[in-house]
Amino acid sequence: MAHSMAAKAEYNYDIIKKFAAMAMVWGVLGMFVGFYAASELAFPILNFDNQYITFGRLRPVHTTLVIFGFGGSALFATSYYIVQRTCQARLHGTGLANFTFWGWQISVAAGVITYMLGYTQAREYAEFEWPIDLLITVTWVIYLYVFVMTLRQRSQPHIYVANWFFIAFILATAILHVFNNLAVPVDMFGMKSYSLFSGVQDAMTQWWYGHNAVGFFLTAAFLGMMYYFVPKQAGRPVYSYRLSVIHFWALVFLYMWVGGHHLHWTALPDWTSTLAATFSIILLMPSWGGMINGIMTMSGAWDKLRTDPVMRFLIVSLSFYGMSTFEGPMMALKSVNALSHYTDWTIGHVHSGALGWVAMVSFGSFYHMVPKLYNTKMYSEKLIFTHFWLATIGIVLYITAMWTSGIGQGLILRAFDSYGNLAYTFVESVSYLHGPYITRAIGGFLFVTGAAIMAYNLYMTAKQGKREAAEAAAAAA
Amino acid sequence: MSNSNQKSGGAPSTGHNWDGIEELTNPVPRWWIWSFYFTVVICIIYWIIYPAWPVGKSYTTGTFNDITYNVVNKDTGEVKEVTTHWNTRALLMADMQRGKEALKQKAYMDEVAKASFDDILSDPEKMAFARSLAKGIYGDNCAACHGTGGTGVVGLFPNLADDDWLWGGKVEQIQASIEQGRHGYMPDFKNTFNAEQLDAVTEYVLSLSGHAMDSKKVATGKRIFNGQEGGCYYCHTSKATGMISVGAANLTDSIWTIADVQGAASLEAKKASVKSVIANGVSRKMPAWSERLSANDIKLLSVYVHELGGGK
Repeated sequence: MAHSMAAKAEYNYDIIKKFAAMAMVWGVLGMFVGFYAASELAFPILNFDNQYITFGRLRPVHTTLVIFGFGGSALFATSYYIVQRTCQARLHGTGLANFTFWGWQISVAAGVITYMLGYTQAREYAEFEWPIDLLITVTWVIYLYVFVMTLRQRSQPHIYVANWFFIAFILATAILHVFNNLAVPVDMFGMKSYSLFSGVQDAMTQWWYGHNAVGFFLTAAFLGMMYYFVPKQAGRPVYSYRLSVIHFWALVFLYMWVGGHHLHWTALPDWTSTLAATFSIILLMPSWGGMINGIMTMSGAWDKLRTDPVMRFLIVSLSFYGMSTFEGPMMALKSVNALSHYTDWTIGHVHSGALGWVAMVSFGSFYHMVPKLYNTKMYSEKLIFTHFWLATIGIVLYITAMWTSGIGQGLILRAFDSYGNLAYTFVESVSYLHGPYITRAIGGFLFVTGAAIMAYNLYMTAKQGKREAAEAAAAAA
Repeated sequence: MSNSNQKSGGAPSTGHNWDGIEELTNPVPRWWIWSFYFTVVICIIYWIIYPAWPVGKSYTTGTFNDITYNVVNKDTGEVKEVTTHWNTRALLMADMQRGKEALKQKAYMDEVAKASFDDILSDPEKMAFARSLAKGIYGDNCAACHGTGGTGVVGLFPNLADDDWLWGGKVEQIQASIEQGRHGYMPDFKNTFNAEQLDAVTEYVLSLSGHAMDSKKVATGKRIFNGQEGGCYYCHTSKATGMISVGAANLTDSIWTIADVQGAASLEAKKASVKSVIANGVSRKMPAWSERLSANDIKLLSVYVHELGGGK
């Protein structure tokens, strides 16, 4: 331990503080935009006939802010934290690390501004037009370089499991980003471009990217986060080294195959569809491997759930992870998909992963990490409990509302009457959604309120840490 | 921490230590590994049954070889039965042609296809089928303009639920309107009439539906309406009861579809709305539906729309 204490002074915590702060800024903003967009669906008058804030433009603003702004910045912050502490090495290249910060923040900001102005590639989760794609590519390659160089400078013989997941995430995201965004710009000084692919191949490329964005960005990377912060917060060893090896390789191998399940019952060839469905089924257990390892790490420390709100965030996140990775393969079955596709069930599923897993594990990790960065304690534990309940109730409202609207929608659209005619018109399915949409917006409001409380709590923690450091310095002098 | 693992099965640590985190050598849970094998077996069975793996330029088609559907030769009209391996397109065709609901619908459809309008209108069972089918067709195609209840939008889209039919309210006339579409047209008179003439014609038109107007202006207006100056009677007829062959409105029945007379608060507002229509003319188009809906669908939709407005 003495060794690690000595090394600690050399860690680059400045870059982590910056990323963590921006994660909270984008997070609160992005979740608020999500709440607003959800309200627009319930009450279309909120579009105010203003093109910049219509649902169609706000929707990618929301997804980009929460996935890349919040999730991406949280991953930069925690991966830089974890790689330094588990390698006991300072982050390689301070200037390069700063470049990744600015490159990433400018990309996110430019993305959301251009979407509101109407520029989009119309590729889900990859709406950035080509100039921003280029900036992201450069930033990402530097991220990979910084991360790998730090690993090479480690003072540990082995590489910790969290870092395998981060490496897989960075490499896969690089490949996905480059191939999905192969496009021909219309001219050098315009934003517009056309995809290199067309028709069903274009759709397949998009969903190969889209599902692996979920697989590597929102799953593998956050498992890396989980593998550090769960044992750290629980004060317990990781349950099974062997399970971590097996589920890691199974997960990264299998995820790459499943994107086609977003295109069941379309022009996609049936064999492609089958492969996507079956690999989704095989993916269930490898996904659960991470949940089992995380939850079993808790054994012997379950009493902490009563007293430690941070542990609650982490355990609830693993529970939602387990639930949504079961729901996913089920929805990937063609027969289930025939009902669920094009309905809100998909939106509900995504959010049980995004709110329940991704956001909750990030919240828990930040509550552990930020006080360490500022060498202090959390400003208010009570506010963490408040946040926990707001977030949990918000998610439950959100998901149940989307199950109600999605499954109902699916059943309405396929219902026949006694004459063999379709029983409902499309507009009847729309008016059915009104109630669930209001409930969903309320759930979203609770969730963003919790995140805002967290941002305040972390801000006060940072302030308190700085004050204590100043006092200590004054006392020493 | 390294010696506190009794509750985790007692497995020893791997000996690694990262920032205080250790890992235990617990084996992979049995149930996990067997569940994993189970999913693999399920998928292998799936691959055997359904199209799955690409082979060269083709793919393994699976053992499910019993989807049968009809293919119609477009040139000769010849119907051929095809049996093929499981695939989503064949499945859709088979379901559309032979599915339980499709057969039920077809039985009714064949009945009404043979029936005349009178037969349909007088048979409660056929009418019930017409309502059930056309409710969906109307809701998905017509309601966007005419409204879910057929009440239309004054000034834009005709009300189908009232008792007034611009192009005729007999079921055959409704059928013709849906098939061919309609272009409701009245020329604008802003360059034809001066302010006084426009005012006089407006007074006359409103007087037709029982409004108390200035009798002198009404007389002038009537003269313009029925003379060469205005020529309104060409379409609206000298009795102003309209002409369904050109979709000219009946001006005497107090039902207004373009000028929002019933919605106007004062007589002045009523005059203003009528005046605006005369000055600016009318041009409203409904597309022809014969290309988009089948003859049978249009037939039943006509019955449905006929019933919306009480029919003629």
